[in-house]
Amino acid sequence: MDATYIQQSIEQLKTNIFMHVRHRTLIQYTGSPMLDENQLFYLLLPFINGEKWDEQIQKSAITVGIVHASLSEHDKISESNATSKEQQLTVLSGDYYSGRYYEILAHSGNIPLIRQLSEGIVSRCEQQIKLYESSQYTVNEWYQVISVIQTELIKRFYQVYQFEQYSPFMHTGLLLLQLQKELHQHQCGTASNLFVKMQESVAGGEGSIESIIQKEIDSLKNLLNEYLETSEFLKDDLKLYIQHQVALNEKLTRER
Amino acid sequence: MEKMKLTLLYSDLKSDIDIIEKELETALNSSSHLINDASLHLLQAGGKRIRPVFVLISAKFGQYNIDQIKNIAVPLELIHMASLVHDDVIDDSDLRRGRHTVKAQWNNRVAMYTGDFIFARALEYVTSIENVKVHQILAKTMVEICNGEVIQIEDKFRGEQNLKDYFRRIKRKTALLIESSCELGAVVGGLDDKNVRHLKRFGYFVGMSYQIVDDILDFTATDKELGKPAGSDLLQGNITLPILLLKDHPTIQRFVEKASKSDVSEADRLEMLKVVRNSDAIKQAINLSNQYLRKALKEVDALPNHPMKKKLRDVALFIGKRKF
Repeated sequence: MDATYIQQSIEQLKTNIFMHVRHRTLIQYTGSPMLDENQLFYLLLPFINGEKWDEQIQKSAITVGIVHASLSEHDKISESNATSKEQQLTVLSGDYYSGRYYEILAHSGNIPLIRQLSEGIVSRCEQQIKLYESSQYTVNEWYQVISVIQTELIKRFYQVYQFEQYSPFMHTGLLLLQLQKELHQHQCGTASNLFVKMQESVAGGEGSIESIIQKEIDSLKNLLNEYLETSEFLKDDLKLYIQHQVALNEKLTRER
Repeated sequence: MEKMKLTLLYSDLKSDIDIIEKELETALNSSSHLINDASLHLLQAGGKRIRPVFVLISAKFGQYNIDQIKNIAVPLELIHMASLVHDDVIDDSDLRRGRHTVKAQWNNRVAMYTGDFIFARALEYVTSIENVKVHQILAKTMVEICNGEVIQIEDKFRGEQNLKDYFRRIKRKTALLIESSCELGAVVGGLDDKNVRHLKRFGYFVGMSYQIVDDILDFTATDKELGKPAGSDLLQGNITLPILLLKDHPTIQRFVEKASKSDVSEADRLEMLKVVRNSDAIKQAINLSNQYLRKALKEVDALPNHPMKKKLRDVALFIGKRKF
């Protein structure tokens, strides 16, 4: 196994997801579903590492990808004005993908995963909406928000198929990658609402938000390396791939 | 007044409807106070709860156990509520039933997350039912409703549409969820296939009539009764039955043209309403609604003798004759 094989597996999953949610009008106005390759990688991690992976698990992984795509569509909706045809259809593409994931799992009678994913969506929405609450949250609480948004659905998938031993890599890896991305976007002048909230949460305190997030990134990197070094079941190629993923992201940030 | 009449109509189901109402509150309970506020806002806006009512009545023809039936009645109402929250974003609606919509009270994103939360809660709730057929029916309905909404957006302000386009649209937009409410109530109640089919078809015909009446009321009811300006559908580009029946009328053509450019004055709206209200189109639309009602009543006739047959007829007739 090498990086090419891993990349091909991710591409194959993407293609399968696209196939299952193809809709002529929605593609025309909203484009293909938005998928995060880092999330897809961790979704496939047990498979790439050689775990038993049958057709049902493959179909389940596709539906997890579809749910991510569904929620990402709704993240694209403008806060104040969604009157354009594209925006209206973006609302519907999210709803359509959501219906499709349910339809696929209903056809295979996979009620436990329907339950887990719907509970996961509930948790994710409860975290995402914090951006619009008047309550003040600490920077650590915002890390928790990011973590739930990034990992909750994959965590539920792991639970259903007893892949929980991969959770520490997935949790640490996805939070780390997202924090790197948040920092990079900020450096490029396109900070997300979440970054702004994190910034507000440390205003008036010691240290800049950049240094606080960088410190968290370093700590997560150490933790991830520790997991990788001590893991006896994760293949070496995968360990290298995960380290490479982080290094590549870091390079992007440092290049700014 | 109309809601009161409906409540009286199913007064003997009141204790079970109260259970559904309580369960809706529980299902919408969230660790997020913002979602709680938005959900409470929706619950307080009320609604006719016709979908749960159809589930309950249909299930009464079989083995009725409210503890089981609520597991499908509650999700159907939640799905309806969630789709309204998202529809208000699509339609940029600030008012529904005379109250501010979630998107107007907060913003579009809050409405999106609240809607997603409610959809997910509906599915979480329905997983207490192990019968795969129930999930397959519900999932197909959800996808088809979405397809209907996509078609509705594609058809906005489209002049060259006919009655077939309209019926195809309202089937998905409204009739399907009512059809599924009756079908799922019957399936969970353990009815045989033949009677499930009769109830399913009943739901479809009633749903078609319901939407036609809704589309008529958008022109004939007052702003106060509607809780939004009369004629809102057409202002948003939705060509409904009364307009299709009047599509060659010069005032209507002019109005559609102006509405497509968001160039409608209050005087234009009032003139359009006057033309529609004084036309024969309303009468023709009522006739079409009544045709669907008659078909619905035929399905009731085919059901085995049961006290709930009268209830089905009464609710269907109420829906067909309601004033707003």
